[in-house]
Amino acid sequence: MPLDAIPIVVINPSENSAAADRGLSGNAPVLLREIAQLTGRLLDSGEASAIDLRALPLTPADLDWLRETLGRGQVAATLEAEGESTLTETVCPGVWWVTHHNENGAVASEFIEVTFVPELLKAHPDDVRIGLEHLELLISDLS
Amino acid sequence: MQGPLIDTLARQGVTRRTFMKYCATLASMMALPPAAGRAMAEAMAAAPAAARRPSVIWLPFQECTGCTESITRSHSPSIEGLIFDAISLDYQETLMAAAGHQAEEALHTAMRENAGKYLLVIDGSIPLGLDGAYSCIAGKSNLEALKEAAQGAAAIVAMGSCAAFGGIPKANPNPTGAVSVSDIIKDKPIINIPGCPPIPVVMTGVLAHFLTFGSLPELDSKGRPKAFYGETIHDRCYRRPFYDQGKFAHTFDDEGARNGWCLFELGCKGPVTHNACATVKWNGGTSWPVESGHGCLGCSEPDFWDGGGFYKALSMPADPLKMGAAAAVVGAAAGVALSFANRGKKSAAKSAHETTTLADLEK
Repeated sequence: MPLDAIPIVVINPSENSAAADRGLSGNAPVLLREIAQLTGRLLDSGEASAIDLRALPLTPADLDWLRETLGRGQVAATLEAEGESTLTETVCPGVWWVTHHNENGAVASEFIEVTFVPELLKAHPDDVRIGLEHLELLISDLS
Repeated sequence: MQGPLIDTLARQGVTRRTFMKYCATLASMMALPPAAGRAMAEAMAAAPAAARRPSVIWLPFQECTGCTESITRSHSPSIEGLIFDAISLDYQETLMAAAGHQAEEALHTAMRENAGKYLLVIDGSIPLGLDGAYSCIAGKSNLEALKEAAQGAAAIVAMGSCAAFGGIPKANPNPTGAVSVSDIIKDKPIINIPGCPPIPVVMTGVLAHFLTFGSLPELDSKGRPKAFYGETIHDRCYRRPFYDQGKFAHTFDDEGARNGWCLFELGCKGPVTHNACATVKWNGGTSWPVESGHGCLGCSEPDFWDGGGFYKALSMPADPLKMGAAAAVVGAAAGVALSFANRGKKSAAKSAHETTTLADLEK
């Protein structure tokens, strides 16, 4: 039987664009209030915080909506560590979207971090010390 | 954040940031608050180097080796593997090179030299029928071997549903008289890691905890680590919003199934099953049963095999009534679900083109 002879029936035509049909659960918009509260706390006390997006009942469509709503800011950083991690500032400065991928490219964990600079981006003094030793080695090679 | 583990990792080419990322993900998997990731990274990295690596003895009893498969094929040999490097696996029949007398000698040497300190891992149930003749290793029944090995153990890990609760061997009519580890050993701390098979990262998490703090993590009333078994599949299911809205798949090929709605009516045991599949997922985070469109079987709960049918909704009376009774705990929400279930049945009866029915699946 040729392929085009197989009838294709669309069960769910997207004529009614109700939120539920797009897979939205309604749980995403409330997160905006939580993020706002955490941002306020960051300003008041400097305390950074994070929301584990995997710990919440959010559908893929919810995550897309949230991502789209928060938008992309000016800063985006990529970390290569057993799979790619992306740390992107949203249009709200101080609100970061952090996605960790595993070696297979699948999302291992996903967070919204409310902080001036994500901890993962800062260099640790021990590592800086190793870097300094390396620099001194480079300089000694010059002579 | 400095210490022997971070140095070991650095020598293996694992950077501090990689380790921090791993801990953030592990914390997320353990359903801990995001801040715990950093705390864990610091605690694990700063753990003092033991003079010798903790000894682990792994005894297989009445089992299918599925648990070992699950653990050993969990991940690419990266950080999880390195954490395993921090232990000394002294006896594991499937993995060890030695066999016969050599293997037995390794077992007894490890038990003697680490008396009172080793971690004993058991997979499989223990058959008591015919004086234990159903499963023997080196001429010893599993019962004898367990009692002997348990004596010098610091703690026992019952790996998989068989060791934890008796599992499939114990399923009605239990021809071999299978029992769980905790049915026999009463005087040692036992940690149950049920699942058929269990999620690999649970083992890593327990090991990490044992290495970091020298103790077992907090357990629930059934001896399971709360971090992974504290909530039900249903609590953390991404399809939960559809349950709350009363949107259910009635068959495996209807509109609801295509829309990815809740599988409660198709027999999903998520509401009464405590496990971390919904957050950790399987095959390196690729997917998990509900995500691939099939309800949870409840494999990490005691007697899951005799729950009355994998495709019977929890709200329908099941034969042994065990799981049905447990569903009442879900409370008012289940009542709502039930009314939707009835409505669903009515509309299903009206439909002339019913392709797959629950009755078909029950056959």
